[in-house]
Amino acid sequence: MTVDRPTGSSPTPPDFVLQAPSGAYLSLNPVTKLLVAAAEVEAAFLIGTWTGPVLVLLLVLASAAIAGVVSRLAVIVAVTVPIVASILLINGFLYPGAVDVIVRLGPLAPSVSGFAFGLQITLRLLAASLALALAYLTTRTDDLLSDLERRGFGRRATYVIGSAVETVPRTVDRAAEIVDAQRSRGMDTEGRWWRRVRGIVPLAAPVVFGALTEVEERTMALEARAFSTPGPRTILRVLPDAPWQRLVRYGLLLGLIAVIVGRITGPLGALP
Amino acid sequence: MSLRLEGVSYRYAGSAADVLSGIDLVVEPGEVVGLVGANEAGKTTVCLVAAGLAPATIGGRLEGTVRIDDLDTAAARPYESAQHCGSLFQNPATQLSGTAATVWEEIAFGPRNLALPLAEVVVRVDEAVRLLAIADLVQRDPARLSGGQAQLVALAGVLALRPAYLILDEPTSQLDPQGTRLVGDALGALAAHAHAGVLIVEHKTDLLAGLASRVAVIEAGRLVTDGPAATTLGDERLPAWGVQPPSSVRLARAAAAAGVSLV
Amino acid sequence: MIQEVCPVEWLSRQFSTRVIVLMPIAIAINIVLGATVQQALKLPIYLDSIGTILVGVVAGPVAGMLTGVLSNLIWGYLLPAPIGTTTIGPFAITAGVIGLLAGLWGRLGLFRSRRGERSSIPGAVVAIILVGALAIYTYARAYASPTDFQNITGFDPTAIDQSRIFFLVILVIFVALIAVALFLRRDVGAVYAIGAGLVTGIAAAIVSAPIAAVVFGGVTGSGTDLLVAAFRAGGDSLVSATLKQGLLSDPMDKMITSFVVFFIIGNLSQRFIARFPNGERLVSSSM
Repeated sequence: MTVDRPTGSSPTPPDFVLQAPSGAYLSLNPVTKLLVAAAEVEAAFLIGTWTGPVLVLLLVLASAAIAGVVSRLAVIVAVTVPIVASILLINGFLYPGAVDVIVRLGPLAPSVSGFAFGLQITLRLLAASLALALAYLTTRTDDLLSDLERRGFGRRATYVIGSAVETVPRTVDRAAEIVDAQRSRGMDTEGRWWRRVRGIVPLAAPVVFGALTEVEERTMALEARAFSTPGPRTILRVLPDAPWQRLVRYGLLLGLIAVIVGRITGPLGALP
Repeated sequence: MSLRLEGVSYRYAGSAADVLSGIDLVVEPGEVVGLVGANEAGKTTVCLVAAGLAPATIGGRLEGTVRIDDLDTAAARPYESAQHCGSLFQNPATQLSGTAATVWEEIAFGPRNLALPLAEVVVRVDEAVRLLAIADLVQRDPARLSGGQAQLVALAGVLALRPAYLILDEPTSQLDPQGTRLVGDALGALAAHAHAGVLIVEHKTDLLAGLASRVAVIEAGRLVTDGPAATTLGDERLPAWGVQPPSSVRLARAAAAAGVSLV
Repeated sequence: MIQEVCPVEWLSRQFSTRVIVLMPIAIAINIVLGATVQQALKLPIYLDSIGTILVGVVAGPVAGMLTGVLSNLIWGYLLPAPIGTTTIGPFAITAGVIGLLAGLWGRLGLFRSRRGERSSIPGAVVAIILVGALAIYTYARAYASPTDFQNITGFDPTAIDQSRIFFLVILVIFVALIAVALFLRRDVGAVYAIGAGLVTGIAAAIVSAPIAAVVFGGVTGSGTDLLVAAFRAGGDSLVSATLKQGLLSDPMDKMITSFVVFFIIGNLSQRFIARFPNGERLVSSSM
């Protein structure tokens, strides 16, 4: 197909496509932030029982302050409160074989070692969750996928993850629509658990079958856009990276391995 | 150079009966060919076969030959066929990749898949945007477009592959009247300026009357007529074949029946 | 049954465009149904593996495994609250195992519709016996130590055998599901599918137990935590308690899920199913 083309067309994508993330910590390469999170998670679980989680929590808070996401991090902490409370309570009150029991209330035997154990687990969990939450809050999924693709991830993996992240809210909306439609037809959504279980099938079935009928149409559409062409596809944007970040990443990778070795051979396990 | 189906018969995998029998159809560069017929007559199958998507993507058995210029689809992978013959389907929502943050990136999806140099990708996207006059949409989120706008974006995405032929399978059937008008106008402008050969399947014969130079009718997997648009759309057998004639034809007939002259 | 195919080619056949399109949809089904059950119903089932098992059965083990792993990772780390939740990510390993096993069952043809196939009945009986034996062995070993209920319920430990109770619960559910399946669809294939679900559930419980114990101290925020607490009150170690809870929830959940997947596959058009890598093993011969 031939078309007349005006002269002077720009050969670079527009700014709104090329947008690079800016800001302290935010402008780090996505894979760097990912590796940092991975290292922090490992440290939280493998370095000592208290040392690791505490160090990680401090590091995460400092990084969050630099990046300016402390308030959003606080929201995530708030979401984890119920879990944390459950872990503390259940382990505190029901730790078997404890010798330092405070008081015995029937089957419940709150003990210092029980609460200590619960606290350990809680801190570890919190440190790991916040490290990952920091990575999530400071990185656009799109940026991460673009960078991974540039490193050889492949268009199919990028499509699966990107599409899944987009499909979930869409499916939630569709499920909500179905619930509304059925409620108006008299379906019971509150009430006894037995009724709610029965209510799942007329909800789940249209959601599942509706989602599956899209498969053929989407497959055709992707093929029609040459999706199955072998090899890497054109990169639209290159995320910022720097030699010092590359050094940091190698350092982190070595550190990840060193921590595992250190834990197995002993020194890290002996830390408080 | 043309898009030719010669003696094409096709049956779906696991099926005992042919859905298409002995189809001969030619689309020349620059002409717009309409295809009409009742539901289940085989229109979508013709589209899939002509675009090289059947049997490559869905299996099944093809007899006869389908040539897109000098590419024989029997030997071609779907991504090769897609570069010569683009396809647009009915549902705007499922045509969009769903992984693009902006319309611009959505249109760039196809050229990027071909691993074209970035400068070339930009050129093609700008070209497609200009062809369909959707410059005001480029920064929008594809998920938040109206049906008609989404369909235009999907079409732009296909045009960005610079196919020599375009196959449109009921592009307006899931759109509201406003969307239909939007897409119909864009198709009219496209037909006037571009030199692609277009095969368009439509129920809305009014739309075809304005777009197509030739119209063919398919019934039960066979082409029962193929001729100039005015002739075919004015053919009295259309209702028997499950097709509603354009409103101008129906009006003329009704007037004639009532003895009223419309001239 | 194992064809001589170069591994790279086998892998790339498992990931055709159609499978690539199915995976995100399956992941979304996992997450939406799982979140709904978790937040609204608070029953000891999860229903977050329907997509994983579906992909495993129709597309193969690697695709199934990736669907499971990605579902957990995306649910845990890429989606904002209220859907996103902290306790899902580490169980990606379990989800991977579930998908892998589903791929195996799919290749073995266990999810094929066998409607009205009288010849399948002896095979189904054998399958029930095999699966039953496996279950009895697993439950006996897991619940063997009679450190137990006495502290809570006051019952004499030697009077009640925990393993028998829980095995009976699973057995009842197994039989009930099969009965429902046979009554609804007269399809002997359901027996194979539900049996596969039971085995998958046992495997999932075994893999999940250490994860729940080490990462979460046995508390994952679902309705099953009280059960774990009860076992611990009876003196069980953390891993033992999570295992016992898992052996109750997971088989139940996976049997229901497998039956649902079997039902879904039976209701999708044969034309559509045939286009997937495992297609021929799922198209019933009577069609």
